[in-house]
Amino acid sequence: MPSLKDIKTQINSVGSTKKITSAMKMVAASKLRRSQEKAEAARPYSSRLEEMLSSLASSAASGEGIIKLLTGTGNDQNYIVVPVSADRGLCGGFNSSINRETFKLVKSLEGNGKKVQLMPVGKKSRDFFNRVMKAQIIESFVDLNVSSTGYESALNISNKLQELYFEGKFDKCILVFNKFKSAISQEVTQQQLIPLDVSNSAKEEEKENSSNAIYDYEPDEETILKDLLPKNVSIQIFKVLLESDAGEQGARMAAMDNATRNAGEMIDSLTLKYNRTRQAFITKELIEIISGAESI
Amino acid sequence: MATISFDLVSPENLIFNDDVGTIIVPGKDGDLGVLPGHSQVMSSLRSGRVMVYSEDKNLVKSFFVSGGFAEINPEKCIVLAESVVELNSLDKSSIEREIEELGSKESKESEELLSIAKAKLEAITVSFYDKI
Repeated sequence: MPSLKDIKTQINSVGSTKKITSAMKMVAASKLRRSQEKAEAARPYSSRLEEMLSSLASSAASGEGIIKLLTGTGNDQNYIVVPVSADRGLCGGFNSSINRETFKLVKSLEGNGKKVQLMPVGKKSRDFFNRVMKAQIIESFVDLNVSSTGYESALNISNKLQELYFEGKFDKCILVFNKFKSAISQEVTQQQLIPLDVSNSAKEEEKENSSNAIYDYEPDEETILKDLLPKNVSIQIFKVLLESDAGEQGARMAAMDNATRNAGEMIDSLTLKYNRTRQAFITKELIEIISGAESI
Repeated sequence: MATISFDLVSPENLIFNDDVGTIIVPGKDGDLGVLPGHSQVMSSLRSGRVMVYSEDKNLVKSFFVSGGFAEINPEKCIVLAESVVELNSLDKSSIEREIEELGSKESKESEELLSIAKAKLEAITVSFYDKI
């Protein structure tokens, strides 16, 4: 039987764990609010950019130079997969679901005879893929801290990707990230970043603006498109980073809430055990005293 | 006089959103003066000043933008800019220092930054468009 002191120490240590998890929950909740605001603030830009792009996309006929971001290289042999995870753990299944999904995707692509490279974003996915498929990592980005550095962090990733793309290192780029659905649920999503997939948004646009007058383009459609496409890649990455950041905080909040509740339950059951043990000791002592008195 | 609705948007947030009288936008091929009822234009921008005026032609706000796009139709003008700062928050001496530092480096990136910094310096030194 454990001594009373042992149980007491255990209760205390669970108690301090509980304090930490509930503090982390509170921190995550306030960070979540901020990340959510950031994600919402970024929405007008990306939606406007998409609108402009879809109205221009039809004018891209030739597949040379920057336009290749839209039309593709004509191959689909070399893939680059970008898993976006968090830099820190303690957020439930947030990181592991990204890693699992990416791993599955890579395996299935390789099963189809494609060549796959990886560019993990966030410490957790970098560490994971460093262990399992180190040879395929060409670059990794960690400590982005998107909520404080903002757009710059997305630009770095986007520039690197475009550099590799125009060097002909890959034909298709797929992002794997946690889409922020609500504070308590995230959905692992795959998005093809390069070449750009405009078919859906373009169709919607056509419906909405079918009666719209035609724009004058200055300097001309192609030049604008050439400016627009690289920016769109960056802004898509930015959007994904912000969503993933909000999702991370949400996941952490939920995980810490669970941990706090579990710690509470554990303390209750330990306290019960403590009291029972104490009672047993007292009873034992009483019996000893009584039997001692009787024997005199 | 009529007004036109003007949105200035950066990747991080919506910076300006109001009905105004006139806007001057630094188009790639030259400045565009946008008044209510402007024809439909889509233009890419160079680094420069975006000036916002009230209906009675008083300067309301002025911004420095670097790179971006403008979408203009008769009722609305939307400027999407990569980076936006208010013109009067720019400090001349710090920009000059930046230009000096960047001038000594030789890379594609610093060249780009240098051209932006130079545009910034020009934007705060010139004063045309202060009154229209």
